[in-house]
Amino acid sequence: MRFRSIAGWLLLAMVLIATAIVTSSGKAISEQDRNAVLEGASHRHPAGTDSLGRDRIVRVSAAFLLSLTGAVAASFISTAAAAGVGLLAAFSTAGVGTLTMLVCDVFLALPWLFLLMMVRSMLPLSTSPADSALITFVVLAALGWPACARAVYQGALRLRNSEWMIHARAGGMRIRQIPRQVLPNLLPLLLPQFLICVPAFVVAEANLGTLGLGVGEPLPSWGGMLLELGNSAILMQTAWVYLPIAVLVMALLLLESTAREA
Amino acid sequence: MKRHLLLKVDLQARYGDRAVLKDVRFELEPGEALALVGTSGAGKSTIVLSLLGLLPWRGGTVKGEVLLDGLNLLTLKEREWRKRRGYRIALIPQSPMSALNPPLSLLTHFAHAWKAHNKGGQSVFKERLNTVLTEVQLPIDPEFLARRPSQISVGQAQRVLIALALLHRPAIIIADEPTSALDPVTQNQIVELLRHLTRLHGTALLYISHDLVSVVQLCDRMAVLDAGEIVETLAVKDLGLARHPMTRALLGALPVPVDVLLECQRQSGVKEFSKSA
Repeated sequence: MRFRSIAGWLLLAMVLIATAIVTSSGKAISEQDRNAVLEGASHRHPAGTDSLGRDRIVRVSAAFLLSLTGAVAASFISTAAAAGVGLLAAFSTAGVGTLTMLVCDVFLALPWLFLLMMVRSMLPLSTSPADSALITFVVLAALGWPACARAVYQGALRLRNSEWMIHARAGGMRIRQIPRQVLPNLLPLLLPQFLICVPAFVVAEANLGTLGLGVGEPLPSWGGMLLELGNSAILMQTAWVYLPIAVLVMALLLLESTAREA
Repeated sequence: MKRHLLLKVDLQARYGDRAVLKDVRFELEPGEALALVGTSGAGKSTIVLSLLGLLPWRGGTVKGEVLLDGLNLLTLKEREWRKRRGYRIALIPQSPMSALNPPLSLLTHFAHAWKAHNKGGQSVFKERLNTVLTEVQLPIDPEFLARRPSQISVGQAQRVLIALALLHRPAIIIADEPTSALDPVTQNQIVELLRHLTRLHGTALLYISHDLVSVVQLCDRMAVLDAGEIVETLAVKDLGLARHPMTRALLGALPVPVDVLLECQRQSGVKEFSKSA
């Protein structure tokens, strides 16, 4: 419980700080300072600038917010889809259930990184940055659900034959009442699933960005920042850029592990 | 004149190759209390699930007929079946604790059961809820109704299940060993409650049990089930005349001779009668 509140407060603090930096600095994420390209820390740019003269701290903060929002949304969609598919499979006939799980297995066996690259490279070059961000997270959500759906299916299958389910049926339960009876029982399974997907998606987006297939410029993203650091000399100097993502992922994992215990 | 029958049952049931119910026939008149007695494994719970059309969920199949109001339920589509479950024919299950959905509050249980058959009518629901809760002698305050099943006692849980069964004022209540998980004192209270409420509302009761003492307290007739067959049906007051070895074995297991038990019951019945008169 203590760790959980620490992780929660840490996340909240990071979100607040990032929001404050982005809104109060008065600099846009794509605003270039031509007189200060690749500069170190200064009064005008507390964390220096990148190769295009854009303020680093504003971009890191914006990337943080974008990444977190996208990952949370994608994780929510993915968990909801998993809950829906798992329930549907468990409460329909055995044939439908087996078939659905087969589809899940196929999804799980897909080389997802390859697939992501394929989907992203099929998009036209003129895709707007906002669209590219949206598509990246939608694709992540679309690939994240099958593992969770399997877990939901197994859990729901146990509930389907439980004593209280038989009793609810004996009371004339309607089919559309099933989710409201079953989902509260699956919450201890869905919540950790949701929380573990968030850091996984943050990291997945960063990986894609490193390959240049994630969120498009000029929108900032963790991966995009790694990309511009192809020069290892610069990488050495600005290693701190990765601190936020490390703290974020750790906070999220801590939240997840304590939620599972609770 | 032909008697009016509420329920006429003639069924066979099997799980895969294994026949569990070979020949089960009985009839139930409105307001009557019939006991279905048998040893463990005689097929009592299978009868319950068959009558509610829920045996497929346990992997079984049913043949024959279950006539309710002259309509064979076994030929009904699931949609039509569902409308009768809990509405015309309700169940009080065996183990009170596992029959309630753990994360849901008691109020949610009642709300779900109500919405299964009635749309809207929040004020009607509140009124009926208070009535049934009072009938089973449970508190009606919101604090109690907000509790989860794990926060109430087994006796209270059994009362909640009786209240759930009474919610739609069904014509038949099937009570599947409703007292087997309870201590003797609570057992007695629940049996009294069932007797009082079924008589009050004229509800027919199918009482499934292996406890003959409660059968004598509660029922008019008794059917003895042995290895998937009903081997003997007789009036409870004629229990002493039982012939079948299975019935005799059940009677032999009583702590007192059955005549003594019947006499006690008759006297307590007379007392009750004089009290109410």
